Amino acid sequence: MTARRSPSDPQRVPLALLHILLAVADRERHGYAIMQDVRERTGGAFKLGPGTLYGSIRRLLEADLIEEIDERPDPAHDDTRRRYYRITSRGRKVAVEETARLAKLLRHARAVGLAPKTV
Amino acid sequence: MQWPERVYRAALRCYPSEFRDEYGGEMLQAFRDQWRDTRGPRLCVALMADVAATAPKEYGRVLMNDLRYALRMMRTSPLFSAAVVMTVALAIAANTAIFSVVNAVLLRPLPFGAPDRLMWVAERNDALHIPTFGASLLNYLSWKEQTQNVALAALGSVTFSLSGSGDPEQFAGSRITPSLMPVLGLQPLSGRTFRDDEERPGAPAVAMISEGLWKRRFGRDPAVVGRTVNLNGVPTTVIGIAPPALAVLTGGDVWVPITIDPAHEIRLNHVVNVVGLRKQGVSIEQAQSEMDAVSARVGRQYPEVNDWGIRLVTFRHWFVNDQLETALLVLLCAVVFVLLIACANIANLLLARATAREREIAIRTAMGATRGRLLRQLLAESLVLSLLGGAAGLACALWAVRLLDRLLPANLLPVPDIGVDARVLSFGVFATVATGLLFGVAPAWQAARTDINAMLKQSGRSAIGARSRLRNGLAATELALATVLLVGAGLLVQSLMNLERARLGFAPQNVLTFQLALPPAKYSRDVKGPAFYRQLLESLRALPGVRGAAISSGIPFGAGNYTTSPFAAVGPSVLPPDTAVPINWRIVSPGFFRTLEIPLVRGRDFTEADNARDVPVIVSQAAARRFWGADDPIGRVIRRPNDTQMMTVIGVVGDVRDTALNQESPAIYYPSAARVWPLMDVVVRSEAGPEALLPGIRQKVRELDPELALATVRPMEEWVSGSAAQPRLNAALLMVFALLALVIAAIGTYGVLAYSVTQRTREIGLRMALGAPAGRVIRLIVGEGMLVGAGGIVAGLAAALAITRTIGGLLFAVPAHDPLTFGGVAAVLAIVALAACFVPARRASRVNPIVALHDD
Repeated sequence: MTARRSPSDPQRVPLALLHILLAVADRERHGYAIMQDVRERTGGAFKLGPGTLYGSIRRLLEADLIEEIDERPDPAHDDTRRRYYRITSRGRKVAVEETARLAKLLRHARAVGLAPKTV
Repeated sequence: MQWPERVYRAALRCYPSEFRDEYGGEMLQAFRDQWRDTRGPRLCVALMADVAATAPKEYGRVLMNDLRYALRMMRTSPLFSAAVVMTVALAIAANTAIFSVVNAVLLRPLPFGAPDRLMWVAERNDALHIPTFGASLLNYLSWKEQTQNVALAALGSVTFSLSGSGDPEQFAGSRITPSLMPVLGLQPLSGRTFRDDEERPGAPAVAMISEGLWKRRFGRDPAVVGRTVNLNGVPTTVIGIAPPALAVLTGGDVWVPITIDPAHEIRLNHVVNVVGLRKQGVSIEQAQSEMDAVSARVGRQYPEVNDWGIRLVTFRHWFVNDQLETALLVLLCAVVFVLLIACANIANLLLARATAREREIAIRTAMGATRGRLLRQLLAESLVLSLLGGAAGLACALWAVRLLDRLLPANLLPVPDIGVDARVLSFGVFATVATGLLFGVAPAWQAARTDINAMLKQSGRSAIGARSRLRNGLAATELALATVLLVGAGLLVQSLMNLERARLGFAPQNVLTFQLALPPAKYSRDVKGPAFYRQLLESLRALPGVRGAAISSGIPFGAGNYTTSPFAAVGPSVLPPDTAVPINWRIVSPGFFRTLEIPLVRGRDFTEADNARDVPVIVSQAAARRFWGADDPIGRVIRRPNDTQMMTVIGVVGDVRDTALNQESPAIYYPSAARVWPLMDVVVRSEAGPEALLPGIRQKVRELDPELALATVRPMEEWVSGSAAQPRLNAALLMVFALLALVIAAIGTYGVLAYSVTQRTREIGLRMALGAPAGRVIRLIVGEGMLVGAGGIVAGLAAALAITRTIGGLLFAVPAHDPLTFGGVAAVLAIVALAACFVPARRASRVNPIVALHDD
């Protein structure tokens, strides 16, 4: 991985990373919960495998965009093996910038008729 | 546990251990959850694809981290890194350069269509002990008619005088059969090659020229094909430009078809070399048995050749003689030794540094780095060092190869050029990576298994013990390898000195040599040619400053004709009756022996009155001894087998080294008054500085025949030194490598001791505090170092005893186990080792006991 593709660079957040950021934006989730959330939100169009998921989680942790939390927020599924992640303020900032960029891109696409007027 | 989980657990092993340790459990859990919700073959496929896509990425990341860390480590110790990189660069450059020569000569296929199926079809005569010899044209024709499995072609050398456009100039060239180009699988660069009907007598004169001649003499004129030039006085049409590969076989710049007139050929006249191309699928043994049958049939048909057979020699063996092959392999071994010594040395440096980094490593271990992880990290560091060194080394090698190509004497190697190709580059890259692993593995292993408890408690005694044993062993190995190299270099240098001291049998100083080729159309070999030379020599001798002038069909070490024929004594002889002995023969003019200062031992020199009718000959002392032992040879008679012409010995001259410095051969001389060759060597002895005579000599030649050109003008001394070019190069290169090895090994020994002294500052201080005098401390340290040194030297001498046997063929007048060389090398190495020990020992003796004991 080169610095050029660092996830902290707002111009170039890979899709998998952005999906994970979205999944942990409103609440803490463990790995499988993130996979489920992404799958449900995209209607099954985007599926994360465990390798992709944890490779991405490692990168997000290193870039300080998410963090691992010590307390277990879901006592019903209390399982010591599960680790929970949530978005950091820095991660929130990056996600906002990235979605704004995508929104702008969508506007441009609509203007030239490359995207439908309503989603 | 269910089987899908077992499979997934196994698949997780594809990830690097750090990643697995961190997330393996989580991933397994995610898998279980997923499997519970959506089991099925599609999930299996998706999971495997996920592993295959992400595992290599994780590895790449780990590698990049290791490399980044390695580069950071390099920057923290720039001197150390520079030393290692430079050592690797030197060793890799030397290895790659020598390998490029080995590749060009031994590995790269010869530049012909099917080099593996090409052979030299030589004549052989077991009775005369002639293993390989040229063939006669009539035999060539007979073989060609009768063989099924081998396509044959013939070539003979000839000298051309080219005139008509610009100054007359002389060129070496060949007469070749039209079949030669297809047999070699070659195409002309432009124009065409010879047609079959052009070898018949009376065919129009045609020639092919080399690319070099086309560029030089004809200024790359595209219209040269079809032009008429004057070759040896005959108007000849240039029909094509030959490919450079043709000259690899024949040499020279001009090719004409051999015209074969069976009516005028003699079956015993061995004037050409025959080459053969085996049909696809025919082994050399099959071809040999077919040729045996053919030569037996020809022998029955023509009894005069019934004792001549055929020997097939592969092109590879024809082009690369055993001596050259041995020399190249010896040089390759030498540079590999240098590389090994360099590796041992760097390993030693790394071991020393590993000690300095013990705390860092211990801390990393304590923080959870596994041994494999540390090993990989340390290996990455040594690989980065070796790759940097290798890159620099390859760059140096590219430059060195270009230099070698320019500096090597022409004709030293049987290849058109030495170059760097894919194989050479792969060798360089392989050597670089192997070097990095070789010098990195032992120190990395040692460092990675450091006992962290002991280390953090600052008393890693056991690890240090093992490490110092390893360091001593490496230093001893360096010295042993250097010993082998020095012994080899010593033997070769002595051989070279013996060669250069070898009694030549003549005085080459102040002698100028050149060649003249009289066009046969203008000068007959028995009347006009001899008359021309008589006149020329007379006018040359009249030049001021000239002390003598003479001609010969082949001067010693020269480029002239080398002719060996069987001779037998008539009448009483120490040999059984009719025993034929192969002997070199030369045509010489009166005054030849005086001009070259070859002593006339008995009898008389030739005079202009000696002619073809009585055929007087002069023999060398070795030839006289061979036939008549200690008896007086004057008046004795010899003849060629199958020839009734009797030849009477009128004089005996001293032996001369003719073809090589390491070879003294019997010789017979014929008078030039009877007959000359189309190409003759002329020698002129002057009072001093023979080159000053050149304008006068050219003037005299022009006065006699303005169309004649002087060729191969060269001082006699240059011929002699040229013949020692290969031994000189071997000795020089091996000496350079041996000295390089010695320096590296000395640094290595010094490094080991200097380090050991630093480690033992406390102990030494204690000894001195207890009253040990400085002298005893020096003795202690030197003694310890010399124990390692002596071990290395003794092991090296033993290895050298075993190895030098293989270079026996390269040695001249030195036994492979020469005690003087072995003793001398041992002494030199002992002195160097002693010096390397003494410096740290002195430092130890200056240890201040108070400071040493306070230290720590």
